[in-house]
Amino acid sequence: MTPARALSSDVYPERPAPLEEACAAEPRDMAALLLFALSRRIGDDRRPVLVTAPRVWFAEYGRPYGPGAAGVPLILAPTTTAAEALWTLEQALRSGAVALALGAVDGASLAQTRRLDFAAKQGEAVGLILPRRLDGLSAARRRWRISTFESATDPDDPRAPGPARLIAELVRGRGERPGAWMLEQDDETHRLRLADRLAGDGLAAIGHAGAPSGLAA
Amino acid sequence: MTVWRRSATRARRPASPPDPALDPQNPFALILKNSRGAAILHALNPAARRAGLRRGQTQADARAMIPQLICKPADPEADARALTALAVWAERWSPSVSLDPAGEGLEGLFLDVTGAAHLFGGEKALLAQIRDRLAEAGIPARTALASTPGAAWALARWGEAGGEGAIADEDTVRDRLAPLPVEALRIDAHTLAQARRFGLKRIGDLYPMPRAGLARRFRDGAGVGLVQRLDQALGFAGEALTPVRPPPKYRAWRTWMEPVEDIEGVAARLAELAADLSAPLVRDGQGAKALTLTGFRSDGGTTHLSVRMGRPGRDAAIWLRLFREAGLGRLELGFGLDALMLTADAVELMTPRQGALESEAEAKQAESLAALIDRLTARLGEDRVLTPEPVDSWIPERAERWRPALGRSPAAANGDAGRRPILLLDPPEPVEAIAELPDGAPARFTWRRLSRRVTRADGPERLSPEWWRPRPDDRQVRTRDYYRVEDDAGGRYWLFREGLYGREFSGAAEERAPSWWMHGVLP
Repeated sequence: MTPARALSSDVYPERPAPLEEACAAEPRDMAALLLFALSRRIGDDRRPVLVTAPRVWFAEYGRPYGPGAAGVPLILAPTTTAAEALWTLEQALRSGAVALALGAVDGASLAQTRRLDFAAKQGEAVGLILPRRLDGLSAARRRWRISTFESATDPDDPRAPGPARLIAELVRGRGERPGAWMLEQDDETHRLRLADRLAGDGLAAIGHAGAPSGLAA
Repeated sequence: MTVWRRSATRARRPASPPDPALDPQNPFALILKNSRGAAILHALNPAARRAGLRRGQTQADARAMIPQLICKPADPEADARALTALAVWAERWSPSVSLDPAGEGLEGLFLDVTGAAHLFGGEKALLAQIRDRLAEAGIPARTALASTPGAAWALARWGEAGGEGAIADEDTVRDRLAPLPVEALRIDAHTLAQARRFGLKRIGDLYPMPRAGLARRFRDGAGVGLVQRLDQALGFAGEALTPVRPPPKYRAWRTWMEPVEDIEGVAARLAELAADLSAPLVRDGQGAKALTLTGFRSDGGTTHLSVRMGRPGRDAAIWLRLFREAGLGRLELGFGLDALMLTADAVELMTPRQGALESEAEAKQAESLAALIDRLTARLGEDRVLTPEPVDSWIPERAERWRPALGRSPAAANGDAGRRPILLLDPPEPVEAIAELPDGAPARFTWRRLSRRVTRADGPERLSPEWWRPRPDDRQVRTRDYYRVEDDAGGRYWLFREGLYGREFSGAAEERAPSWWMHGVLP
């Protein structure tokens, strides 16, 4: 695991590829990962989001909670095996009925990820595999590692946690330079946006402040 | 008017088979305890009957007569289960199969084959087929076909030797029943004893009697029952039978001479059945919401597979796909299936879509979503494809209920995304927390064996218990104070303290101190 040293000055690839992979840097970053994953929808796609994972995943991390993910119609498919979850993911992507399909699946083979990539293109959807670790071959266009970052300051109450922030590190991208971006949850849309742009105090300052404490995760 | 229905009735021996190791030459009996605790003969094999034993005798009496009588306890519940299973199997000949309510050692099935006999090559051929199939499955049976359930019952059990397919239609039923004993009218022992005393031995003896006089002559109104049974047998009175499974309105059904032994064969024939079933649905403007495929095994068993759909449909190709995903490959074929039946268990009127109200794209989108949910449900099961349903409650875990997605459309919950966790732990997990003030925010807490220092906290958000709901267990429901906290690693959590200092906890020994719980993780 290579810790991000500084935030990248490249343009954040906001538009999702058909199939991406994202993992949580540590188990406690799962909520940030889920927020990141839900934000990888295209624009204002109103189709529902399907979340599939083996049952143990839900026991470990909790269940997605609608009020906390406002604005996203959810379908949940807890499965018995990882193979079933992969099948579910493929069906959902291919059907064209969902905007985004998330699958917490480990050990998908290259051939399986190729199928998913193809299915996502066919259904004009975005597929996101959430494995435990980013090893092995995969047809995913981008591989992300997500870690929680200390929240932004709440203008009304400095002692309270403010808008959520996280570091999205692009570990590998096809035709893209790896990099890291700090994203912040928007109060209005509840989606992630690039934190530094709107903060207005420049990349260097945030990169400098963020690097020593939170990024080593 | 009388309802004329033709029914074939089969009587069969008690369903508990004797131990195969036992020689049929040995007298054998099944024993049941009666209400006074005495052991009574419940069922006998032919050897025991030949030796002069009869049903209802006490075991002690029987043993005195035949010391070598082999006895085993009867299991009436297993018998009933076996008979019900056989009734389902018999649906291959008729959609409406009823268990014989007479029961008690004369168990049988009623098959309403009105208008169906021609499908099997006539009534004689039908009876022969029923007997052959049952014999193949190792079930000795007697069959008869008559214009009323009562007459069929009588002929099957009391007809000429062997009961080899007696057939009586409206014209002959009177003559066919005349020589049978009055027992054949399904009357109770009390009525039977009185009829014997009057010298009424055969059903024919009752024909010349005036109905009203006959009914009056018996004590305790037993005569009314006798007359009613007689009328039912002759078709002057109707008789309602309750089928084991409600007959489906839409049913497609095929049989083959050679049993189908592989899944591919079943799948090919299922396609034919699906086409058969969808035709009448299209005609009536109906769509199926639930389908059951029943395979009739040559060994006397049945195998089932059901699929459900969120929207009514009649596309045979979609049905096939759903059946495949529901596990067509896992059907138990045994030694092969010789008949398949596809029934529409739930149908609904297909309303033409209103093109003006919703855009074409939206309608298409909703349709593909329903199809996806159907497919996932068929493969994973109904309780594995879920969608949240908002519930009017402020208790967080109760505010959202996960329901089967089948037949629902997922809707976005409205909530306060910044203040509610994105992952909810249900049930909440206990944490050890240290707060600077008893009713303040925590300063440190240990969750899942990891100690965390709180750097920022927001709260409390006080949620009172819903006192109007019954308590889930003996646990006292108390007020919760929720805090959003952030630890020094940047993790954000949703903690609550259950119980208020002062109002709900005064420090008395028997009271439970307020405790901390982790309810979810915020992004």
